Order: sequence, then C-alpha cells, then structure tokens
Amino acid sequence: MKRILTILCFLLTLNTYSQCLGSQTSTITPVGPYSPGDIVTINYTLSSFTQINVNWIHAFEFDFGTGWMQNTVATSGNPGNPGGSIGYWLWDNQHTFIGGLNFGPGWRFVNTYAPNWGTNSTGPFNISFTITVKQTCNPEDLHIGITVYGDCQTGGWNNGACCNDPIYNIYQGNVQTVPIATSNISHY
Amino acid sequence: MKKLITLLFLTIGLVSFGQTTANPDVVCVNATGEQYFVTNTPTSTYQWTITGGGGVLQTGQGTNSITVDWGGVPGLYPNAVTIVETTASGCVGNPITLNVEILELILQPVSSFCLTDPAYTLSANVGGGTFSGTGIVGNDFDPATAGVGTHVVTYSFNGCTTTTNITVNSLPVTGPIQHY
Repeated sequence: MKRILTILCFLLTLNTYSQCLGSQTSTITPVGPYSPGDIVTINYTLSSFTQINVNWIHAFEFDFGTGWMQNTVATSGNPGNPGGSIGYWLWDNQHTFIGGLNFGPGWRFVNTYAPNWGTNSTGPFNISFTITVKQTCNPEDLHIGITVYGDCQTGGWNNGACCNDPIYNIYQGNVQTVPIATSNISHY
Repeated sequence: MKKLITLLFLTIGLVSFGQTTANPDVVCVNATGEQYFVTNTPTSTYQWTITGGGGVLQTGQGTNSITVDWGGVPGLYPNAVTIVETTASGCVGNPITLNVEILELILQPVSSFCLTDPAYTLSANVGGGTFSGTGIVGNDFDPATAGVGTHVVTYSFNGCTTTTNITVNSLPVTGPIQHY
C-alpha cells in the first residue's frame, strides 16, 4: 500500500514541459501528512534545461510554507553541472541577482568566470535534501514549491526567453496537530 | 437479575469514565479542602484560577488536581473554577470552566413546644433535604415522640448540614383542687 501511494505521489508530481524546462519530478518521503518534528527527504529532478536564445540556467529557488524549519535544511550533494561552465553551486538563503531578483533559499550557480552568467549545462539536475517540520500548535502551511531561474529572471542575459516557467509544486499540506482535549472539571 | 446487571454496568461506567460533576457544582459555605481535578496528561501542566465565592486555591497549582477553600457568602459564582492545560510542546488548550454555587442551609425558626403539641412540619430555605434527630418523623417534629428536653435537629442537603435546637417543655403539674 505504501509503495502504491509513493508511486501515486510520484505520478501526480510529474509536470508538463515548460518553455525551457524539461520534465520535473519529485518524491517526498515518508509520505505525508506530517506532524511537528517529522523529518522528510525531498528529491527533485529537472531532466533538462533548453537554452532558448542562449538563456542559461542560474538557480533553483525553494518556497517553504511556514510549517517548515528552513534552518534545518540539510542538502545532499548539489544539483550537478554536467558539461557546464566553470563554477560551483551554492546553497544560499538570500541573494540579490544583478537584475534585482531577491532570491532564496535555494541553489544558485556561481560562475567563476562571469558571476552573472549561470551555467551552460543543460542538465539533468538533481536536488536532494532533508527538512524538519516546525514544533507548532497550529496547522501551519507545509507547501514546498520550486522555481527554476534562468538569465531572463536574474538579469544575466536579456534575450526574452524562459521568463515564465511556472513554479513546480512538490508538496501541499498542513502540519497535523493534536487538539488538546482537557476533560471537564470533576469535584470529589 | 436485571437490577444486578444494571448495577454492574453503572459501576463499570463510573470506573471507566470517572466521576462527573454537575454544573454548577454545589459546595457548602466555608467548605475547606474541596478537591477538583481533570484527567491527567502526565506531560502537561495545568493552570487553575479560582474566581469569586471567597475561594482560595490551597494546593496543587500546576497539577491536574487542586484543593480549594470556599468562603461564607452563599450564591452562584459563574466560572469560579477555570483550568488551562499546556502541553509539553507549549501548546495551550482552551479554558475549561465550572460554575460553583455556595450553599447555606437555613432552617425556619421554631419556638418551643409543649409535650402535647401536635407534630410540626419543619422547613428550610432549600427543600429536598433530610431531617434527622430525636422526634423526627419524615419532615415533622413530634414533641410527644421527642419527649421533654432540648433536642438537636439536623437538616442535610447535598452534603451540607445545619442544626437547630428544639425544646419540648413539660406539662404543668397542677395539684388537686383545695377548698378553704
């Protein structure tokens, strides 16, 4: 049953192709819903990035609901850079790109030759990390979304493509909380 | 047999679900050491508040069970007992409250009786209780049954009691008629 649910979640998270983005897939384990203190593992793959009009990929930004403890993110490796530019991926909580885009948290590529160029890798890219559910009394938001940024959004290259690739939803849900059920007052 | 089974179920029910308290809870004036409690969650803490009725929390603050001394002014006190539970993770529950009625029993004053007076029906400010003592038959005081002397009559209701003294006087002893 658990396997079927995992496969179902996997299929549901398959996304249609966007302008520059190949297929995006993700898994989140264990399967939700989640309670305070739960640790989950997220795996995300972008099959390819099509460099329309020489737009290069720059970053993967995560959007976490308030129910996640963002400071507990523990990454496993980096997205990879097959055939890409010289540089490295950096997990950054905040960065302002040259075009003014306020980025973070997520992975961004630091091109050591030209910092605002991103990487000319076309993928695939794989991201894996764990994150912990906040200790909370309220059913806070646990959604996780990811946005892939290229030159168009960061301002590294102005050639009018790959500007509107939509956010990809990895998870939707809320923290499962246990209501406090104080009994009625009794008198001996 | 049917009665026995009913009693058995009632007993099991009380053991399983614990004592229940009517709301409002009735206590006697100046009652001391009255114990209130909720079902305990060992990892939780409990904040009790006593409001009105001259109530003073004596022991148990922070736990699921407290004792309270009540004052001497009768009346109904809404939300006199309040408890708020906090879990180990700091989550605060909704307040649970209990109304308290402080009860003072007052017997209607009675004068003294003669031994031959008829039985007198006693009454109190709150009906439904039980009279007891020498000369009490139901709710009546019968001087002939009580006999000459001062008798303590007790009235009980809902765990509260009050007493009064009733005197039965002897008949006059009249000597024989003399003729000068």
